[in-house]
Amino acid sequence: MTNSLLTVITFAPLLGAILTLLPWGRWLNMDREREERLIKNGAIAISLLPLGLAIGMAAGYRPAGSGFQFEINVPWIAPLHVNYHLGVDGLSLPLVFLTTLLTTLGLWYSARVIKTRVREFFFLFLLLETGMIGVFVSLDLVLFYVFWELGLVPMYLLIGVWGQPKDRPQYSAIKFFLYTMAGSVLMLLAIIGIYLSVGTFDMVEAARLKPFADNFLAASLAFWAFFIAFAIKVPSWPFHTWLPDAHTAAPTAGSVILAGILLKLGAYGILRINLPIFPQAFKAYGLVVVILGVISIVYGALVSLAQWDLKRLIAYSSVSHMGYVLLGAGAAGLAVGSQELLDSGAMALNGAALQMFNHGISTGALFFLVGVIYERAHLRDLKMFGGLSSKLPYYYGLFAVTALTSLGLPGLAGFWGEFFVFRGAFDIVRVWAAIGVIGIVLTAAYILWKIIQYVFLGQYDPHKIEHWTDLATGADGHEPTDVALFEKVTLWPLVFFMVLIGIFPAVLLNFFNGTFVNLLTGLAGK
Amino acid sequence: MVPLTWYLILAAALFCTGLFGVLARKNAVAVLMGVELMLNAVNINLLAFWRYTAPGELIGQAFAVFVITVAAAEAAVGIALFIAIYRLRDTVNVEEIDAMKG
Amino acid sequence: MHESSTPFIYNLTILLPILPFLAFVLIVLWTNRNKKLSAGLAVAGVGLSWLIGWAIAFTAFGQHGIAAQPFRMLRAWLPAGRAWQAFGFMVDPLSALMLLMVPFVCFLIFVYSVGYMGVGKPLGVHDQRGWPAEPGHVDPLASRFFAYIALFATGMIGLVLADNLIMLLIFWEIMGLCSYLLIGFWFARKYADPRKITPKEAGLKAFLTTRIGDTLMLAGMLLLFAQVGSLSFAEIFKPETLEHLATTTTHIALIGPVPWATLIAILIFCGAIGKSAQFPLHVWLPDAMEGPTPVSALIHAATMVSAGVYLIIRTFPLMAAVEHGPALQFIAFIGAFTALFAATIAVAQNDIKKVLAYSTISQLGFMFAALGIGAYVAATFHLLTHAFFKALLFLGSGSVIHGMEHGHHHGHGEAGKLVDWDIGAHGSQSTSHQSTNLPSFDPQDMRNMGGLFRRMPRTAWTFIIGGLALSGFPFVTAGFWSKDEILADAWVHGHTVVFVTLAVAALLTAFYTARQITLVFFGKPRTAAAEHAGEEDSIFRWMTIPLMVLAVFAIAFGWIGIPTTFPLLGRFSSNPFHHLMGSLAEALHIEAAELPFAATPLLTSIVVALGGLLLGWLIYRGVAEIGRREGDASWSPLHLADPLARPLGRIYTVLQNKYYFDELYGKVFVKGVQRLANWLFRFDDAWIIDPIVDGVGELWRRISEFGHAFDVRVVDGIVNGVGAVTAAAGSAARVIQTGRAQNYLLVALVALSVVLGAFLVLPK
Repeated sequence: MTNSLLTVITFAPLLGAILTLLPWGRWLNMDREREERLIKNGAIAISLLPLGLAIGMAAGYRPAGSGFQFEINVPWIAPLHVNYHLGVDGLSLPLVFLTTLLTTLGLWYSARVIKTRVREFFFLFLLLETGMIGVFVSLDLVLFYVFWELGLVPMYLLIGVWGQPKDRPQYSAIKFFLYTMAGSVLMLLAIIGIYLSVGTFDMVEAARLKPFADNFLAASLAFWAFFIAFAIKVPSWPFHTWLPDAHTAAPTAGSVILAGILLKLGAYGILRINLPIFPQAFKAYGLVVVILGVISIVYGALVSLAQWDLKRLIAYSSVSHMGYVLLGAGAAGLAVGSQELLDSGAMALNGAALQMFNHGISTGALFFLVGVIYERAHLRDLKMFGGLSSKLPYYYGLFAVTALTSLGLPGLAGFWGEFFVFRGAFDIVRVWAAIGVIGIVLTAAYILWKIIQYVFLGQYDPHKIEHWTDLATGADGHEPTDVALFEKVTLWPLVFFMVLIGIFPAVLLNFFNGTFVNLLTGLAGK
Repeated sequence: MVPLTWYLILAAALFCTGLFGVLARKNAVAVLMGVELMLNAVNINLLAFWRYTAPGELIGQAFAVFVITVAAAEAAVGIALFIAIYRLRDTVNVEEIDAMKG
Repeated sequence: MHESSTPFIYNLTILLPILPFLAFVLIVLWTNRNKKLSAGLAVAGVGLSWLIGWAIAFTAFGQHGIAAQPFRMLRAWLPAGRAWQAFGFMVDPLSALMLLMVPFVCFLIFVYSVGYMGVGKPLGVHDQRGWPAEPGHVDPLASRFFAYIALFATGMIGLVLADNLIMLLIFWEIMGLCSYLLIGFWFARKYADPRKITPKEAGLKAFLTTRIGDTLMLAGMLLLFAQVGSLSFAEIFKPETLEHLATTTTHIALIGPVPWATLIAILIFCGAIGKSAQFPLHVWLPDAMEGPTPVSALIHAATMVSAGVYLIIRTFPLMAAVEHGPALQFIAFIGAFTALFAATIAVAQNDIKKVLAYSTISQLGFMFAALGIGAYVAATFHLLTHAFFKALLFLGSGSVIHGMEHGHHHGHGEAGKLVDWDIGAHGSQSTSHQSTNLPSFDPQDMRNMGGLFRRMPRTAWTFIIGGLALSGFPFVTAGFWSKDEILADAWVHGHTVVFVTLAVAALLTAFYTARQITLVFFGKPRTAAAEHAGEEDSIFRWMTIPLMVLAVFAIAFGWIGIPTTFPLLGRFSSNPFHHLMGSLAEALHIEAAELPFAATPLLTSIVVALGGLLLGWLIYRGVAEIGRREGDASWSPLHLADPLARPLGRIYTVLQNKYYFDELYGKVFVKGVQRLANWLFRFDDAWIIDPIVDGVGELWRRISEFGHAFDVRVVDGIVNGVGAVTAAAGSAARVIQTGRAQNYLLVALVALSVVLGAFLVLPK
């Protein structure tokens, strides 16, 4: 019952964060520049440790086994029965991997882009990683809550301090922080409610004991408390408006982490807490979740269509894409307890989880790509670009693959999430699924029309943007320069996963499928 | 024999003289001398009451000796303070020594 | 099962899509700087596919029982719930027939493209990426072009070999993507006329329009998946599964109970409507002509549009699960209507490629109509013959266009070398400053041509053969046999409405083909470009050889499907085509017996083909004979009135404007969605949702400000008040604190006196 692997993965970044704060310059007698370089490279090196361990863990994971693996469960605050309980199953393991991957890439990218307050940036980034991994691996509600809040502060500072001044970073950061906090308060109440009901903070135990089994009203309240906390984070319509602001203001790597992982925390919470612990309430309110999902899909896509700021557009597209997760989760919730719909429910969950992972890599990559052009042109207005596919063919290629993944083109990763979500949803909530598929068409419209056509196609006009920064030399020029080596290194791993999962989705589905089939089988058996 | 009352009147007069000196004189030394007078008035009372009420015991004389001792000490300390004040402020006028004013 | 008896060659099936894909990957990642090598890789990839494909196809033709026991290579690929879905490739008679056509036509088109893109020519100094190259120069992005078409070939070859609907959908969408990329290949191109659609917009339009159909198809597939538990063709087409689908119903609001089979079939057909550009999703295909001409041939002949027809042929058992059900009627209606509808538009088009585009839509309508009336074999036959002659026609038109461009250059001499026939790239080091001096010239407009027969004989001969095949010239051409079979099927099975509609469409087909041939090749040249057009340049060697090969197939391919019941000729025919498809139909329990001979449809097809051709020739002969007027600068062949314009009047304008569908869709859907999007954004950001969030924030700020004020005024006020009172009392009391010991003593004395006095005076 005690496996320290997850502890190492979770706290290695924290250790790294502390190390960045030490006065290396004075100790090793370095000037400021060399010290910053040491901090940057050191942070990247430290972040490779959880990444490597996560890969190793994925290799050592047994998809056939049910329940949690690599568990550790020791008392933490004994009088309150709070345990230090970590573990991963097929749902959380890929997300841990995604977190470590995106963090490493984010650090790598930032090392070349962040120029101000370097030490603080890398400190916060590593701290953030601990918070995010912690949420994915905690199996104790209090621990979960602690990590949940832990991730909030670094992100707040990343947006507020390193945001572009013209994007109102303080406003966005505070909006993000307070909005999430408002949800957290509800979650905390519900966590205490669970403890009062079944006397444990342990998620696995709570899922077994089913709190408020005899009191539907209380179960509903707890369900909604959790759901709203998570829906804000997802973000689901109508709780989504913090997202465009936060995304727009955040620095590139911050947007990547925000879209790639922080949004997944909410979706993960729905799948980890709402579904197993409150299956009856989820079944009762599954339709609401489905409807929120469908509204998010269509609404997010339509609003994306009206954007002219590249980052804001992608932010709204995240609302749309995360709507698929809600749709899948809601459909699976409605299938709880039914043997006939078990396969459909499991596939809806597969789709939701796949969509989470795929959105992580594709939107993460999109934000990196926006960063690439922003660092060169210093603006993100779609109307100012055009014809870049002839000037930056390499960039065009990477962007096209990523955008097509985001669009859900079969053969690339994004397709499978949508495919399985709708596969489940069409069997369970046919009418809503039918409305949801409109989103597929609209997604194609905003990605191809707004992004690809406005940025890459058409005639390149050298008068629109006179000054292009060459990232290799840092000098200003009149011609855009194609993707630099460090940007290629950042993007290729993500592109690799888009293609790999697109062609052979079983690499991921193997983790998800068994877990969800077990979960739904367990719920159907009750 | 001289009645007790006469002694008491003498002591009261002496006390009042001393009290006047304490309250009215400006020179600190004079104030100190007033205090001595008041103490000696008390001494007279002590001895007078001893002689007329309880001559068998030496309580009154003992008290008087104590008072004289304390008076001597008091005079010594008082004079020392005044000398210190004089050195500091160049005056022994009590009206000017009001550092304790609220 | 009988692994040992399976010929080894089948194991190479997997190579067919992989070879062109490999070419794509190699070009994109490594060889894109070398245009010759890239072109070579693409041609070699698809060429190998062609050879292996034919080997597999002919092995399959010779093998009995392949229909009942198709070859499958499967791997468990997709964990889905408690079972895994297997992915793999399959060879059955239908796949084999498609293998006969697809990689072969692709290969020819690739070879043609080598010439068309000017591979081997020098790079033009003025050429820019994203614009067509000047004649005699290689396209600056030729490598990209070959990568795209290689991927396109992957898509189509994979599609015909897919063993299940999921894979079919994947390859289907890969093609959709490639069509988007290829139509918009000249992504920077702009026209002087702002209303004229640019390639990038045409690509977008194609992708989005087909995506609508695809999405409906996806919905149908997912419903099917949910009902059957698998999307493998072997599972779906089991008789008991089809029986189950046909008998169980689902309730649809407003319509009532509908058999699952009908609902799913119609939804899947919607995908085909989009992909095969049937009414009402036909609008993208004519605009897809903005792509380079080989692309038009790929999209409109061999690959993408026939994918829709292939899909319906492949899933025909599902379509026909409910016998004579609404699904088939719907298909027949859409097909027949589109066949006529598109043919009428084609009559009034002047762009050489647009005519062909509408004719494609119309011919695809023929195929769907045939499928709708149950003419399973005839539809497949027409699909294949059409692929050959339509590829031929498109490639021929490309050759004509290139010939015209060369002529245009030649005709204008040195000045012409710098001409960009549309407006050039603004503000860059382009050639645009020259274009203002010369009127813009459209090398695709048939009115600018004329008399090309003598100048481009090889192109002309092959084009005319293709045109005759398209119009169904009796007894010789492939088009005749396949079209005749469809008409015969309609007649024999009593689908009179479909028969009449298709007959009229066939008449129009012959008519506009004759119009096209007459205007392009006969008569006198009407412009200098036509006067100087030629096919002597070295690129035409690459281009005309595929034309000749295709011309052979446009004629001879029909002979494999001559009905045995046909008078005279039938005696020499064994009708191998019908045998092959018949065996498959039998295995799938589709009724497809060879038809008895009927004279009416035969006569009809002969009359409409010959009549239409003759009519077209007679009407347009006069226009063709009008030659170019030298010296008259104001004269332009574009001012010539079409002979039909006067008698048809307003109808002609409507036809010329394609029944105004583009305008209608633009207003209703494009503008509508944009308006909705903008409105929702304001709803989100400016009006309701975000203001509510900000409002809640503001509300809390107000509350906290009120709290602040309360704190300052009331709570602090009390605390400070106590302090102030104390302080005031203190300052009042300080007066008596003089610092003089004598004063204090005096006070003490007075107080003592008072106390003593009181003690004495007051009563005890």
